[in-house]
Amino acid sequence: MNVRIIQITMLAFVVVCSTNIERAAGGIKLITLPIRERVEIQLDHPHVTLVEEERMVPLAAGVNDVVFAWANAAIDKNSIQFSCLTDPGNIRVLSVSYPPNENALTWQVSSPNAGSARVRISYVIGGLDKTFAYRAVASNDEETLTLWQYVRLHNHANEAFGQAGMWAGFGERFERPIDINETRQLLSAKFEDVPIEKTYTADLSAHGYLNEGKRQLRIPMHYVLKNDRDHGLGRFPLMFGKARIFQDDGRGTVAFLGEDWGTFTPLNDEMRLYLGLSKDIVVKRTIESRKAIHVLGNLYHYDVVVKYEIENFKDQRVVLDIVESLPDLRREILRDTRRDVEWQLKNTGTLDEMIDREKSNADQVVFHVTLPQRGEDQKAVKQIHKMNVLIKNEW
Amino acid sequence: MSKKWMTSIGMVMWLATSASAENVDLSTIPPRDTVQLTIYNGEDLTLVRETRHITFKKGLNPLQFSWANTLIDPTSVELRFKDRAGGLELIDTAFPHDKPQMLYWNVRSERDVDAEVEITYFTSGITWAADYVCVSDPAEEVMSFEGFVRITNNSGEDYADAQIRLVVGTINLVEKVAELARRGAISKDEEDEYRKGLKTVRTFKKKFARAELRDRVAGRLAMATAAAPKEIIKEGLSEYFIYTIEGQETIRNTWSKRMRSFQGKRVPFRIQYRYRPAEYGDQLVRLFLLRNDDASDLGTTPLPNGALRLFRDNGREGLSFLVQQQIEYVPVGQEIVMNLGHDPEVIHERIRLKSWRDDFWYAREGFTVYYSPQKGHRIRTNDKVAGWDDHQQWIERIRNNREKPIDVEIRRTFAGHVAFRSDLAPVLHDYRTPQFTTTVEPGGKQELAYHLVTHQGYNKKQDNVTLEEENG
Repeated sequence: MNVRIIQITMLAFVVVCSTNIERAAGGIKLITLPIRERVEIQLDHPHVTLVEEERMVPLAAGVNDVVFAWANAAIDKNSIQFSCLTDPGNIRVLSVSYPPNENALTWQVSSPNAGSARVRISYVIGGLDKTFAYRAVASNDEETLTLWQYVRLHNHANEAFGQAGMWAGFGERFERPIDINETRQLLSAKFEDVPIEKTYTADLSAHGYLNEGKRQLRIPMHYVLKNDRDHGLGRFPLMFGKARIFQDDGRGTVAFLGEDWGTFTPLNDEMRLYLGLSKDIVVKRTIESRKAIHVLGNLYHYDVVVKYEIENFKDQRVVLDIVESLPDLRREILRDTRRDVEWQLKNTGTLDEMIDREKSNADQVVFHVTLPQRGEDQKAVKQIHKMNVLIKNEW
Repeated sequence: MSKKWMTSIGMVMWLATSASAENVDLSTIPPRDTVQLTIYNGEDLTLVRETRHITFKKGLNPLQFSWANTLIDPTSVELRFKDRAGGLELIDTAFPHDKPQMLYWNVRSERDVDAEVEITYFTSGITWAADYVCVSDPAEEVMSFEGFVRITNNSGEDYADAQIRLVVGTINLVEKVAELARRGAISKDEEDEYRKGLKTVRTFKKKFARAELRDRVAGRLAMATAAAPKEIIKEGLSEYFIYTIEGQETIRNTWSKRMRSFQGKRVPFRIQYRYRPAEYGDQLVRLFLLRNDDASDLGTTPLPNGALRLFRDNGREGLSFLVQQQIEYVPVGQEIVMNLGHDPEVIHERIRLKSWRDDFWYAREGFTVYYSPQKGHRIRTNDKVAGWDDHQQWIERIRNNREKPIDVEIRRTFAGHVAFRSDLAPVLHDYRTPQFTTTVEPGGKQELAYHLVTHQGYNKKQDNVTLEEENG
């Protein structure tokens, strides 16, 4: 009866065949090097990479030692799985032995017959990971953009995998060779004519002053992409990754507008890509009035008017988002009492009709203000808007 | 068992009248016949039971037992005679002061006899652990559930062809075996080296290697005819559970060996999403829930603590890694919870829509009574707010981007005197934690609304949560 020792290493696959007598005497050995038949790199887990490889293993009838060994690779020894794809009902693993101080293990595999069997070995490996990147090219009129999503596979696992299938958990499955220390970028999805919204935001709490002395706010600009079918996306969540943003310059080339980190964006959520600060939208915010209204005992309401002076020096009409944080407004006019802010908009403000109730909540109020384009005389129309809010029951 | 297995643990029979020190000795070495290991996983403890055949002459028979470079507790070594008809009697046991890790037994025999003796002792350094591998089907309805046991031997001794029993449960020890072994013989540094497998019993290594090869070949011949995984028999004993591995196994020093303990081939499970910050952190997590019982193709044994790895058949001739976690001891009949963590396909948001205050009470300087305008009391300018109710309107919004409906359970814990008003049919998990559930359809959204009233200051009369209907 033959007893085989089959050795699988990360660099080679070694099959040692010998008879009992030969082994006992340390005699003739036959070594074969079966190659990987198939490799799949599963990248669908956010933090863990699973490699699956299939090999044809020559088995003798009886019990075979199948040795799996690796060097200089961060394989999680406890994650290694062995499954036989050929005759799995009869070819079975009896036990696994772990030698001391070695990156190796030995499966004792029983086979009723001699012959080749296809086996699959799965293991978690470190140093083989992925990132995502985006390229976004906006149309000249900034109404739509084309979005390319790339998956980048970084192989620092100290092992070449040859032709390997890869799947990032969504979209297309790729089959490419991946070499040691290689980074391979693959186009995983392309979305064309994605309608976008360009936003301008006045939010003192989030973005601060551009010029505090003049009470002039920073006005960041964003492209907002809605990850749903109606907006040309919505096939899968958009993964975190760097986005490089370009714009069609109308002359057949593109201009680089900047880059931003695209946050993880579930289906039906918005991805906001920061484009920098607008210099053409000028917003000055002041507290126009603050009146304490005595209620009872030491209890007061505060009647506050926040004034926004807004100028649009662009040649296009734009929509400005105004965001007010009520806890910060209270801190500004009173102090931080550590209690919830009880507030109510009074009907005397000019912004009440422009409120976004979906995005407003107990702590913030959001308005959308349409700003006309600069006039033919190149002068911007200065709009003045006021938010009149009653901050209630403070002491 | 042949002499080749005489590694670090040795037994010597002196052909002399006593165990006294003499310059010229003649001795024989009775080999082990059988060895049984009972390994506990709650403590670093293994009970070794070995048998040997010894020929006794009439009169006094000195025996020497030594265990150099091992982790045996010297206070636990015992000698028993299995054949009582021989008239054998253990006269005394001596621990020589100048020879650590050694003892002498003086045995009196009434006649010349060949007797079987049993030697038992505790050793540390042999451990076992369970682990589990589960593979869900692509539809995430059933899974295969395999349990394994892995035995690791860093005791300093090779145990060949040993019957192995594994004990599930925690026993009480007043002193650690490793400590007793250290006191008896070897240094702490040496013990650590043995544990880490850095040090081996070199004297016998080559000899062992040759013997191991011969034995493995012989073993293979025997196993080739019965090429099936060994059965692991499970049985209860008092508060413990014992796994007995079929046949014999060789566990070499510094090696470990892993064997399948059981398998559930089609184990049904259900999926639930839970928000329980005390258990799973501040996130809605995805759980696979199954039960260790017959109906689930499990339930033959409690599941000891161990690492669990969960995969899913990805439907493309491969696996997806889902999670690795430790599971605690699972008695038969108990639920098994696999926590897959945050699910990017299910979005959970908690939004406070509105806050306000009412039911003010005022304190007046110099008085111990309180005043309320709602009660018609007159409030003076220098009265101070002493009690009030905080109101908060919340929604828990859950969006399900998966292709199946999902079940969601939320637990929220509130401090203070709180009324939880809602139409969510909540129940109290504990005195301050309402729990409520919902189902969210594929691609759907649920907004679970509730209204909290927190009685503050003078208004606070309790420190608990009461459930009220929103319009009740």
